This record gives sequence, structure tokens and C-alpha cells, in this order.
Amino acid sequence: MAPQNVEPLPSNEGAPVLGKKVKGPNGEALGLVVDVLVDPNGQPRAAVIDFGGFLGVGSRKIAIDWKALDFTSLGRAGTIELGLSRAQIAAAPEYKPGPPGAVVVTAPPAPAPPVDTHK
Amino acid sequence: MSAVVAKSKPARDETALASRGLDGLNLFVANIQTGFGPFISVYLTTQGWTQTAIGTALSLGTIAAMASQIPAGALVDAIRNKTAVAFASILAFSASALLLAIRPTALWVYAAEVLHGFSSCTLGPAIAAMSLILVGPAMLGRRVGRNARFSSIGNGIGAALMGACGYYVSERAVFFLTAVVTLPAIASLLPLARLSEATPPSSSGRHPAQTRAPISSLLRNRALVIFALCAMLFTLGNSAMLPLAGNTLTKEAGNFASLLIAGCIIVPQLVVAAISPTIGELAEQRGRRLVLVIGFCTLPIRGVLFATLDSPAALVLIQALDGIAGACVGILVPLVASDIAGRSGRYNLSMGFIGLAIGVGATVSTTLAGWIADRFGTPAAYGSLALVGLLALLLAIGAMPETRPSPTA
Repeated sequence: MAPQNVEPLPSNEGAPVLGKKVKGPNGEALGLVVDVLVDPNGQPRAAVIDFGGFLGVGSRKIAIDWKALDFTSLGRAGTIELGLSRAQIAAAPEYKPGPPGAVVVTAPPAPAPPVDTHK
Repeated sequence: MSAVVAKSKPARDETALASRGLDGLNLFVANIQTGFGPFISVYLTTQGWTQTAIGTALSLGTIAAMASQIPAGALVDAIRNKTAVAFASILAFSASALLLAIRPTALWVYAAEVLHGFSSCTLGPAIAAMSLILVGPAMLGRRVGRNARFSSIGNGIGAALMGACGYYVSERAVFFLTAVVTLPAIASLLPLARLSEATPPSSSGRHPAQTRAPISSLLRNRALVIFALCAMLFTLGNSAMLPLAGNTLTKEAGNFASLLIAGCIIVPQLVVAAISPTIGELAEQRGRRLVLVIGFCTLPIRGVLFATLDSPAALVLIQALDGIAGACVGILVPLVASDIAGRSGRYNLSMGFIGLAIGVGATVSTTLAGWIADRFGTPAAYGSLALVGLLALLLAIGAMPETRPSPTA
């Protein structure tokens, strides 16, 4: 039998993302990560987020640019931050798997003014 | 003589108590069913389930529910004590809610889904059968009207309660809460336990086992087959309307989308709660056909309004029509089944047959509407659903016989 190669991966360096809550700029719950789109190198390009409606009615899956997501509190609090408001996401087309591919919502070109995130 | 008077008063109290028990049962069961509905998908997502796996689990539940309709109906017919059936069904709900809460892994979730699907199919007919035993065929219209009122109140309270629980506590807590709500549902059965054991021998000396009609005679019953077909077409046109409206709202209404979708869900419940007793009365006084036609009329109208109006406020108001249709169909299913098979010992099997037809309609509806909406746009999807609704209406007008027993019978 081949030897098993193992190395430790601390939780703050590798955290699960499927099913994790995505929060908006004001800390409001936006939806859950249901899938990750990766390029041929295996690098994540977008997260598919299910923006739940009300009691399952009107829920939509939207692909969000991986770079628009902030994972710093994922390992600690289990949540992912997104700098887009509900209104900015609402207009996006729904994510459909398969060709020709997804339309990905990106962060606004101008970075948001720094907010005091004192915790 | 005095002994009869002395006996009849507690009997009347007991009936009143049983009636209140049935009210509570309808209310709490609707509460429980809200817990099993939309929350499972969100809960399993938070547990790291993939969308494919969730789809598999939910489909399994749907298939189990559809496959159980007819066998479950036959089973409920064969068991004389309907309260015991209701008790066992609610216990199965408790078990599947706890399974979901404690063991959200594939095998246990599948087991919970199948258990819930099957016991839903025994509970619905059992409640209808208890209603029939409690009030008799002549008063059943009023009673099922009352059942529908309490169910829709239960749906509304359930949505608020479970929604708040999911938001403020956790998705998992919803299923613990659902399990807790099975306790008052079981308590509601207490006054019914004595009644359903006491009544059948006094109301009629029949033994269902001896007079039960052969199953094949049900399928040859024109009224039942046409009613089931009507119910299937109606559901095919109806089920996908709310999800389509919900999609429109999430796109158009931005920040208020959730609030408006909540309105779209709650408005019909309020309408059902308000008008159900009147509709039940109407079915008794003026016949089932009229109620069926009123209910079915609303569907093509709603489809056309949805297709042409897209102001969010208008969508919420149009949903009132859904309440009218919901009240009419909800009342007619147990009532028409009782008209047709109430005396044949096949009442619950008939309910199962209609339930299966409705299940097929609901399953096809969302898939079909989604496919049409993707290719031809949402208005085309509304139009197609309206057309199916029109077909249901025409079938009801053209072929559905009046099943109300003549007053002399």
C-alpha cells in the first residue's frame, strides 16, 4: 500500500463554504452558498448563492464573483460578507448551470468607502 | 323519559367538545405541515447538503406521498378507529421532525421524508372521516368549511412561528418546534377519541367491512373520475402561479420583495379563513357544482391578470383569488368524496384517489411552468397556466354531475 501523505490544515486556513450564510453590508442575512464555480486550474471564480425569498417562494440562485466576497470571518463566525445590497443583487439574472455559462455579479468598480468595522 | 334527557345533554357537550378538538387538530396539523414544507431545503443547505442531494431527498418525499395516497386511503378505510389513525400519523410526524433535527444525514432524512409522506396521506383522510362521523353527511359541508378555516389560520400562524424560529434561533430549531407542536395536536384528539368509538354503532348498524364496495367500482364511478380529473387540471394550472409571481417580485420589488411575497402567501390564507364557512354553507344549500365553478373561474382570471399586470401591489391583491379557489377546492374534496363514496366504505380510498390526482398536477405544474417561462417568458407561462385552468373550468361545467345528496335522502 502507498504511504498516506498527510499534513495539517488549520480551520482558519481551510474552512468549508457550502451552506454558509452570506451577509450584506449592514450585517443582514442575504442567502446561503450552494455551489462554487472553479476554473480549469481549480481556482474559485464565483460562488452560487441562494437568495431565499419567503418560505421558499421567490428564492433565486445568483452567481457572485469570488473577489466580491470576504471570507475573513468564515473560520471564526461561519459567515461570509458581501459588499452588495439586496437591491444591487435583485437585478442580476438567475444562475443556470451548463453551457453557455454563468453571468457573474461583480463588485462595483469603485471600492466602497472604508467603513469603521470596529468590533 | 327523564333518563333520555339526562343522557342527551352530556352527549351534546361531548359533541361540542369533539368539535373543538377537531378545530384544534386542523389548526395544529397545518402548523406542523408548514414546518415540513419550505424549511427542509434551507436547513439541509446549512448542513452542507448539495442542491442535488436536497433535490433527491425532496423528490423521494414527493414520490412517497404520491405512491402512498391510494394504499393509505385503503388502510384508513380498513381501520375502524379513525382517531387512532390520526394519533399514529401525528406520532409519525413527531418522529420524522425529530429525525430531521437530530440526524440530518442522508439515510435518516430519506426515512423522515418517506415517513412524513406516508403519514400525510393517512392523516388527511382520517380527519375527513372523523368530521363525517362527528356531524354526518348532511352537515359535512359546514364542518369541512370550518376545517378549512382552522387549517388556514394554522398555516398563517405556522408560517410566522416557524419563520421567526428559523430566523432568530436556527434552521434546526424549526424541526424541534415542529415536533413540539405535535403535542397540542395529539391533545386535540382526546375529546375525539371517545366520540368516534361511541358514534358509529348508534348512527348506523353497518359494518364497513361487510359493505365495502370493490375497488374497481370506484374507478368506474364517472363523478369521481371526472372530479379527480378536474382537481388535477386545476392544480396543474394553479400550483406554479405563486412561484412565478414570487420570481417576478424578487426581480421587480428589490428590498420589499420578501414582504410582498409574504403578502402573496398570507392574503389567500386570510381569504380562506374568512370565507370557508360560507362556501361550505353554499355547497350545502346550492350544490357542489356551483362552488366548483366559482372556484375554477378564478384561475383563468388570475392567470390573465398576472400576465398583464406587473405592479407588485397588484400581484398581492390578485392572490385573493387564490384564496377563493383554495377555499372552494379544499372544501369540495372531502365533500364530493363523501357524496360519492361516503356509504360505500371506500371514503378514504376515494380521498386518496383525488389526492393522487392533485399530487400529479402539482408536481407537473412547477416543472412545466418553469420550462415555459425559461423559453417563452413569464407571461407565456401565466397564459398557459390560465389555459389549463380554463380547461378545468370547461370540464367542470360540461361533465361534472351534481353530487349533493337530494334533501329527501
